[in-house]
Amino acid sequence: MTRYHGVEVIEMTKNLLPVALLVTAAAACGPPASPPPGPSDAAALPSGGTVVIGLLSDVQGWNPYLADDLDTAQLLALVYPTLAIEQPDYHRHPPSFAPALARAWTWSDDHLVLELELDPRARWSDGVPITARDVVFTWEVQTSDDIDWLHSDAKGSITAVEAVDDHTVRASFSRVYPYQLMDLNDGPIVPAHLWSSIPFADWRDTDWLPRSVAGGPFRIAGHTPQQQITLERNPGYWDAPLPALDRVVFRIAPSEQSLVNQLLAGDIDVLPSLPPADLERVRAHPGIELVIYDDRSYTHLCWNTTDPRLADPAVRRALTAAIDRQTLVDVVYGGFGRLGVGPILSSFWAFDEGLEPAPHDPAAARAGLAAAGWSDSDGDGVLDRAGEAFTIELLAAAENELRQDIALLVQADLARVGVAVEPRFVEWGTLVAAVDAGDFDGVVNRWEEPTQIDLEGLWRTPAPDEPTFNFGRYSNAEVDRLLDEVAGLADFAAQRPLYHRIQRLIVADQPYTFLVENTRLTALASRIRGAEINSATPYFNLERWTVGREPAR
Amino acid sequence: MRRLVARRLLLLAPMVWLVATLTFAVVVAAPGSYADAVDHPGLDAAQREALRARYGLDQPLHRQYLSWLGAVLRGDLGVSFVTKEPVTRLLGRALPPTLLLGGAALLLDFLLGVAVAVAAARRPHGWFDRVSTVVGLGVAGLPSFWVAGLAVLVFALLLGWFPASHMLSAGADRMSGGARLADLLHHLVLPAACLGLAGAAGTARYLRAALLDIRSERFILAARARGLSERRVLWVHTLRPALLPAITLLGLSLPVLVSGSVVIETVFSWPGVGLALLRAAQARDLPVIMAITMLGAVAVLVGSLIADLGYAAADPRAREDLR
Amino acid sequence: MSAPRRLRVGAGSLGLLVVACLAGPWVLPVAPAADPARAALLPPGAVVTEVTTIDGRAYVSPEVEVEGETVTVAGPRRDEVLARTDVASMRRVRLWLGSDRFGRDVLGQLLAGGRISVAVAALAALVALVVGTGVGLAAASAGGAVDAAIMRLVDALLAFPTLFLLILLAALFRPGPAVLVAVLGLSSWMGLSRLVRGQVLALRGRDFVLAARAAGATEGRIWRRHYLPNIAGPLAQDAALRLGDLVLAESTLSFLGIGLPPDLPTWGGMVAEGHRVMVDGWWLATLPGLAIALLVISLALLGDGIQERLATGAA
Repeated sequence: MTRYHGVEVIEMTKNLLPVALLVTAAAACGPPASPPPGPSDAAALPSGGTVVIGLLSDVQGWNPYLADDLDTAQLLALVYPTLAIEQPDYHRHPPSFAPALARAWTWSDDHLVLELELDPRARWSDGVPITARDVVFTWEVQTSDDIDWLHSDAKGSITAVEAVDDHTVRASFSRVYPYQLMDLNDGPIVPAHLWSSIPFADWRDTDWLPRSVAGGPFRIAGHTPQQQITLERNPGYWDAPLPALDRVVFRIAPSEQSLVNQLLAGDIDVLPSLPPADLERVRAHPGIELVIYDDRSYTHLCWNTTDPRLADPAVRRALTAAIDRQTLVDVVYGGFGRLGVGPILSSFWAFDEGLEPAPHDPAAARAGLAAAGWSDSDGDGVLDRAGEAFTIELLAAAENELRQDIALLVQADLARVGVAVEPRFVEWGTLVAAVDAGDFDGVVNRWEEPTQIDLEGLWRTPAPDEPTFNFGRYSNAEVDRLLDEVAGLADFAAQRPLYHRIQRLIVADQPYTFLVENTRLTALASRIRGAEINSATPYFNLERWTVGREPAR
Repeated sequence: MRRLVARRLLLLAPMVWLVATLTFAVVVAAPGSYADAVDHPGLDAAQREALRARYGLDQPLHRQYLSWLGAVLRGDLGVSFVTKEPVTRLLGRALPPTLLLGGAALLLDFLLGVAVAVAAARRPHGWFDRVSTVVGLGVAGLPSFWVAGLAVLVFALLLGWFPASHMLSAGADRMSGGARLADLLHHLVLPAACLGLAGAAGTARYLRAALLDIRSERFILAARARGLSERRVLWVHTLRPALLPAITLLGLSLPVLVSGSVVIETVFSWPGVGLALLRAAQARDLPVIMAITMLGAVAVLVGSLIADLGYAAADPRAREDLR
Repeated sequence: MSAPRRLRVGAGSLGLLVVACLAGPWVLPVAPAADPARAALLPPGAVVTEVTTIDGRAYVSPEVEVEGETVTVAGPRRDEVLARTDVASMRRVRLWLGSDRFGRDVLGQLLAGGRISVAVAALAALVALVVGTGVGLAAASAGGAVDAAIMRLVDALLAFPTLFLLILLAALFRPGPAVLVAVLGLSSWMGLSRLVRGQVLALRGRDFVLAARAAGATEGRIWRRHYLPNIAGPLAQDAALRLGDLVLAESTLSFLGIGLPPDLPTWGGMVAEGHRVMVDGWWLATLPGLAIALLVISLALLGDGIQERLATGAA
């Protein structure tokens, strides 16, 4: 289960992969970086230049297995290598992979054992070869209870990772399923020769910056906490292409407003996620291009299905019908974003094309609520039933302005059908505690989806008293049965019809009001050439970026 | 004078102790707060206990207090909940930018304040006096975050004269010494102006009143009678005695400056103590909040001490009062 | 400005602000429904038409056209076409101060924000007044070591820069309105207690107090008859200045995002919100900023006026 929610866009290494490629206007007219020279060809180093990228928060340290935020993962993915590179084809079938550190691999006949051949050229920036030892060490890190890596679940079906020789690794699996290589590949390879001497129990108290070494295209060149992170080209990078840029600077600012100001003032070249409220300001600026793409996340209202007022699917359908989601997309997201349909994003292969977004229909909403026994018997404008007013508390993270905007709009829409909404904006930790305990009516939330289809964590009936992402305690025996059936199938094509049936059941039950499938706006200075921005990471092909001229300041 | 200094320094120590104790009382002893911040919803009971033991929360309160106070005395302000780095290291990094910004603002506060006050006192109730009084009132009343936001909009975004934020350009580490200094000063102008402006209004107002008071005193009339030029009377004979209380005023403006730095540093992403405090508050990073709050209080205590002593050094008459 | 004039101007503009905030909702026409899709970010003075349908929906737009049997409500992205028979009512309203990102009437928001900001500051001042007076009186009447201890404590608390103390408290106790009032009040009573103590100590040795005591007046009577009336003036001046500080403090906390939750309009919160759309909606940050300034300046004038009246009265 790799699914994240959070104040920032939280999404992790499983998804460090290209999706829904959208090339900028700049990339279309500018030539891509010329074929790069080999790493030893120092005389022909590429053109150079610096790109400045805006960030809202500093890295959570320099160890990819101790951080749990997207920014840190994306940044360290530039420094540490992965075995293979996921290809941007997740929407047609489970993603395929291209060689990276592993230059080839073969499956056993029963598809339970995978042998990978590592690239013999691979070197850390200190000259030490990257070998099977690093891969095995990384697996130990990923599955260590002391380290408790956020994504260790992905390794649940892997029984062993062993070194056959310096350049051959063998991985064994307990079952056959469509995402075996994806799960093995999850997480970057880290240096055994520098890190294995520290007991795992001490990792959280270790300063990792002095122990950093690069196996990817960039290396860490400097860090001023809360201000700036500087990466520079790793001259010892073993794979092609060597980056054209000689420096990448990450500038940290405390607010989105400050980042947008710096973007407009030319102090920042790239803003990975532009707040839609600032769209017009940025669009009007001649030196900045916008890249707009689906970011594989959806924002929704999660209803507490154990609440007596919200337990009836008909009531939840009425609430969904009462919300003018198109206006919400227009106002909150500047018109960018698709109306949500169901639990599988409409860009995925498993999506049921026969489903449509639920229409905005306040009259139907009123009828549905009336049929469920709600009426305004005391004439105060708020529905009531058996003396109880229909008043819902709607939680949203205090740190997230978009979600607060959504809560305010939902409040206005539901007021028109007689449902009183009390928005409550609470600090993230408080919100998580409340939804974990099931102590809420409704919550504005957003899920960042992995590139695989995984409905287990959100939609299976949760075990009592165990932590779950199924915050609303949704339970449908038929959904549970179909999920069991899906898990037994090794072939994704056979899974598809089952996924269609699950989606229809969930859409009919509306445990969520699926508001919007999000679109992300990335702002780029137009002097940057060759950038491919996609939903996995804005830095997907950073090593191929070039710049027209140095920043003005 | 030496005895005065020693006495005041001795008095400072219990005040600092009191400040530290109050901070501890508010943060740690307040029911639930510190323990809640350590707790994380995802933890199981054993992990929670381990964490509480690590932060000493399983100890009785008085023991927590004593070990905390001991650590503070040794210069150990704890470890940030968020970044896991020692708070002292964080402060060591954040303090120089704040001192720079505060120093520049104080300088502006003083120079602008004196200039405006002198110009206004030259012709009391003349046009400059009236205009500057009204403008000063307005400046003091406008919220600093509003002024700072407007300054960014106008001078950074519309005119492009100054950078919108940060202390150095992204490429500053590659600049030569001189260019780097120029870059720093370029970044300093807007935040220092925003921070110093409100203080300057107060200084000018106070100094103007003091100047007018002194003007009517006998020794000024005597100087005038001796036929000294009006300019000399104003700059030498009136300003000098009026500046004495202004020294105290600068001591008093320190808390305002320290508070103001939070807003200004936030608007301008200035890497100082105020910004660190706000970030810590957003993340409920209590060790950092406690340390910075204490630091702020100690700075105010030391500031007022320096102002008092400076005043005493400049004016023998004041020494008796300060005993 | 002369002292009486300052007093008049300060009291006048303060009264005007408060009356406007309180009476606004009764005097002004009912603001149109907030229609974020069609009436967002309209400049001051814009005239909009509000269309209400028989099933209770409301559309607001500067451009509404009635043509034959249809009513077209224009929007920047798409027009809404309604059947005339579905329309229950239509009215034209002028948005004197424009609308915000959600199409809400800024004037209404400003008045509502003023009510909250002023109420929070006033209640906090009350808390400070009660605590400060109590502590000051206690210290003065206890005297000796207790007095010294209390006053050292007050000194230590005064050393904390106000905003630091507020941020510390706001981080510990996430503010709702009641918590915010308590936090603001508890961070600003110290000056008052010093003032009260000083006044009482000064008055204690004065002839009329000694005379009253000699005449057998009870301690309570001396408090009521002699101390309180004499303290009232300085307290009023202090309260006016303190109220201004509290308004600024509240708005600063809201601006920094650690004040009241954002669904409650406050002036500081409106400025923060307005900064996000400074270019498209200059009025959104400007107007509440000016409102804060006006309030703070009136209070400063009022305080000055009171002070000068006291000074001349005493002389």
